[in-house]
Amino acid sequence: MAAKAGASPATYSPSPTTYKKNRPPIFTDVDWVRPDGRDFHQCRPAFLRTGAVNAASGSAYAEFGNTKVMVSIFGPRESKKAMIYSDIGRLNCNASDNKEISSQLHKSLEGAIMLDTFPKTTVDVFALVLESGGCDLPVVISCASLALADAGIMMYDLVAAVSVVCTSSCLGKNLVIDPVSEEENYQDGGLMITCLPSRNEVTQLTITGEWSTPKIHEAMELCLDACSKLGKIMRSCLKESSSTSQE
Amino acid sequence: MQEKIAEEEMVTPGEVLGKGSEVKAGRGAYIAPYNNTVYASLTGRRCIVPSSPESPDQRPTVEVIGHKAHGPVPEPGCVVIARVTKVMARMASADIMCVGSKAVREKFSGIIRQQDVRATEIDKVDMHTSFRPGDIVKASVLSLGDARAYYLSTAQNELGVVSAESMAGGTMVPISWTEMQCPLTGQIEQRKVAKVGA
Repeated sequence: MAAKAGASPATYSPSPTTYKKNRPPIFTDVDWVRPDGRDFHQCRPAFLRTGAVNAASGSAYAEFGNTKVMVSIFGPRESKKAMIYSDIGRLNCNASDNKEISSQLHKSLEGAIMLDTFPKTTVDVFALVLESGGCDLPVVISCASLALADAGIMMYDLVAAVSVVCTSSCLGKNLVIDPVSEEENYQDGGLMITCLPSRNEVTQLTITGEWSTPKIHEAMELCLDACSKLGKIMRSCLKESSSTSQE
Repeated sequence: MQEKIAEEEMVTPGEVLGKGSEVKAGRGAYIAPYNNTVYASLTGRRCIVPSSPESPDQRPTVEVIGHKAHGPVPEPGCVVIARVTKVMARMASADIMCVGSKAVREKFSGIIRQQDVRATEIDKVDMHTSFRPGDIVKASVLSLGDARAYYLSTAQNELGVVSAESMAGGTMVPISWTEMQCPLTGQIEQRKVAKVGA
């Protein structure tokens, strides 16, 4: 059908009024108070227990605020017949069919486990997130390394993981450590470090979103400091549970 | 005999056990080459084994005695107890149930090849007169084998069939190196028998 003379041609570009739509700032002032009353650089208190699952070789339960995670370890056990022979062991991570968490969990753990102490066999790591209250992946990683230590798998060191989000538009220009789900939704960028606390080595570093270089440095220092503190908590949990099981 | 002195304190993976110049790393510990420090790799009690007086290296060995032993894994050289599942012309398949004296959590697959059944006349071995499906055998692990199974060997006097059921259903009694007899029917069946006891 012929267009009417003088009518503007059809176009898909958005109309000027809705073009520059920013996320509306939640609080125009900088006084964002965290839902649980924490400081911006304060992590949630960690509750860790090992030996939760009897059927597994090793297991651990972690509760960081509202994030509750349980990890069980099976192995070393025979690899599936279809697998090719390998003279080092295999690590198989499964986080209730969440491919992303499973693959990141695998990357962070494989640097810490001595795979050549169990050749040809497989260690299965099953992670279950019972409640997701923000910062799931770091809690899963820390819990998994506790469970591996409980299972007696030889490791170079425990793996502690912490994440930080940077927010510039919504919550004021801040680095928020150990974010809850609400804070993760408003992030401009996220950074997660998994490190071996006593050896001061990093097994995985994940940076997403918008970061400036000084912010990255500051966030990394924050995370590494928090990781070493988390490492101490994890060690005391292991020692406590193994001394109670000895009695 | 060297005395092991186990300490009271628990150590966790990654904790420093000593300097590489003063101690050697034993089981449950490892040495980091870049700073020559011995770290623990297991959770358990630290234990120091003094070195033997004749050895040139006088450093004591530090070990970590695990508080919780996970299921054992077959290693080359260890003796295992296995149950025979399949007997074929040139090999027999067996499921490894115990490693040493500890039971495994989940079974491992093993294979006994024709040439590993006994030490003499290995090319004249008839697999069906050595094993039957269901026999419990004591074998030693030769190697990690291939992707599917560990390689096992019964080529010693104290290795071979430890317990077997006759066709009538009774537990057979060994009467020689190659024969076992059923107590119910008196029937003699052929097996590669293990010499058990002193």
